[in-house]
Amino acid sequence: MTSPIVIPSAKPAPILAAVSIVVAVTGLGMAARSLFHLSVVSLPDVVALYMLAIAATAVRYGRASSLVASALAVAAYDFVFVPPYWTLAVDDARHILTFATMFGVGVFISGLTARIRERETEARAATLKASTEQIRSSLLSAVSHDLRTPLGAITGAATTLRDGTAELSTSQRAELLDAICDESERLERLVANLLEMTRLAATDVEIRAEWVPLEELVTSALARLETRIGARDVVVDLASDLPLLHADPVLLEQLLLNLLDNALKYSSEGSPLEVRALLEQERVQIHVSDRGRGLGGLDPEGLFEKFVRGSNPGIRGSGLGLAICKAIAVVHGGGIRAGNREEGGAEFEVWLPASRIAPQLDLQAPLEALQ
Amino acid sequence: MSALSPVVLLVEDEPQMRRFLRASLSSHGYRLLEAETAVMGTQLATSHRPDLILMDLGLPDGDGIALTRAMREWTQTPIIVISARGREEDKVKALDAGADDYLTKPFGVNELLARIRVALRHALQNANPGNETPLEFGALRLDVTRRMVWIAGNEVHLTPIEYKLLALLARHAGKVLTHRQILKEVWGPTYAEQPHYVRVHMAELRKKVESNPSKPRLIVTEPGVGYRLKDSG
Repeated sequence: MTSPIVIPSAKPAPILAAVSIVVAVTGLGMAARSLFHLSVVSLPDVVALYMLAIAATAVRYGRASSLVASALAVAAYDFVFVPPYWTLAVDDARHILTFATMFGVGVFISGLTARIRERETEARAATLKASTEQIRSSLLSAVSHDLRTPLGAITGAATTLRDGTAELSTSQRAELLDAICDESERLERLVANLLEMTRLAATDVEIRAEWVPLEELVTSALARLETRIGARDVVVDLASDLPLLHADPVLLEQLLLNLLDNALKYSSEGSPLEVRALLEQERVQIHVSDRGRGLGGLDPEGLFEKFVRGSNPGIRGSGLGLAICKAIAVVHGGGIRAGNREEGGAEFEVWLPASRIAPQLDLQAPLEALQ
Repeated sequence: MSALSPVVLLVEDEPQMRRFLRASLSSHGYRLLEAETAVMGTQLATSHRPDLILMDLGLPDGDGIALTRAMREWTQTPIIVISARGREEDKVKALDAGADDYLTKPFGVNELLARIRVALRHALQNANPGNETPLEFGALRLDVTRRMVWIAGNEVHLTPIEYKLLALLARHAGKVLTHRQILKEVWGPTYAEQPHYVRVHMAELRKKVESNPSKPRLIVTEPGVGYRLKDSG
């Protein structure tokens, strides 16, 4: 295991803090000794005050700062409180011992607190690793289950057709062949989703942004779902003042496709779908809504987590569709949320930043290139 | 295309893929030539002059895109790329290199056969140009000599750009044209990096020629790649 190691780095801010603390303590000591009688606030009290300051610096700012604080404290103590005053010279040799002790204790405290801090960081990293590991293994088991299920169906159907000694009727054969084709498609969708999710989860995900009219993306997503939509009514209402979006057309179409696919899956046959978009406060808002059962008791935030899916057992999916939607909205600097409609049904709202510099084309402009 | 059944050259290194294509293509009346490598593919393409080439992209001795580009220097034989690379930029690269079509693995055999038929028909049309009869696609009728367009018998008035776009797609009906290819043909090479020109004008064109622009029947968007005029034949 490689744990992050805390290196006592001499960052300017903590060092500055160490200097300030020592200056403040020196000021405090001077004030106390001038206000009260010297016998009330004796030199050991001042030394104790400095030790407290060093310990506080070590806890708050780490080893490097507390070492600086120790050295400064000794210097300041000598300069201000040890005769001859306002020089670094020393009259009495026993003060040297005080300095050494002060510095030694300072170094000791620094080391001690630094070790405590390291242990704490290690413990935190270990906890984080454990929970990451847990997430990873649950992801893995979800994925392998989802991969094995269609594979199992394919293998079963194919081996029945190849090795089957039993007589199969024509309709049975057709059924097995259909199963192979359907399950292969399901497997392909899952693999595609996993790849997409992996790509979007990368920290340096690259998006190929171009200026694109939302209309084209909505249209092409609807066209791809044409057979599934069938005779269902799809209301498309895109405000006429929408600017061109600066977006990756492939990803944004995928987002719309996933939302529409979801709406189709979770609403009854024949019920209408709606896609609306409007420009509001420098944001393009896209609403995809259905007349289904709505979100029910589902957590509207949790829906966008990987491998979370609606509770309806009759509906199949990878549980990645909405997670992909969210990732796509986020890489475009936008967001997504889900809610119930007052009239019944679910509504997903995606918002994307509207660019002020979106190009505008004069559609009637003659081009010199055209005869 | 000869009177005999068309010859398809398959350049593919994956044996299982060849097995599947051999079975399905020969049962549909195509004669098949098989090449496992780019070098073998070039040899067979020169010696046998196939009617169509199916090209895999990841070959052991080279890249299918480079091979496509090299073949385009001496032959107009239709090339359909079949690849497991599903990213749009790969499609665009292959099409810009001169491929006629692109199919991402896995694909169904009906899809493949349909694409092969379209590609072969185009090759035939290109070999016999000078066809002056108006082009027809569903409700769309386009007279290239008179530069006129009708939808269901009603004349449609297009701007010069819209007409050029539609005529270009119609000349290559069934084939995907990339944004870059469209820009070069309609606007000229200096506009090659302005894909939103195509997108905005295409949206306008659709409003005029599609009966329901949100359910396009004629012009299909291939997201991130380009456009295709649907060829039902």
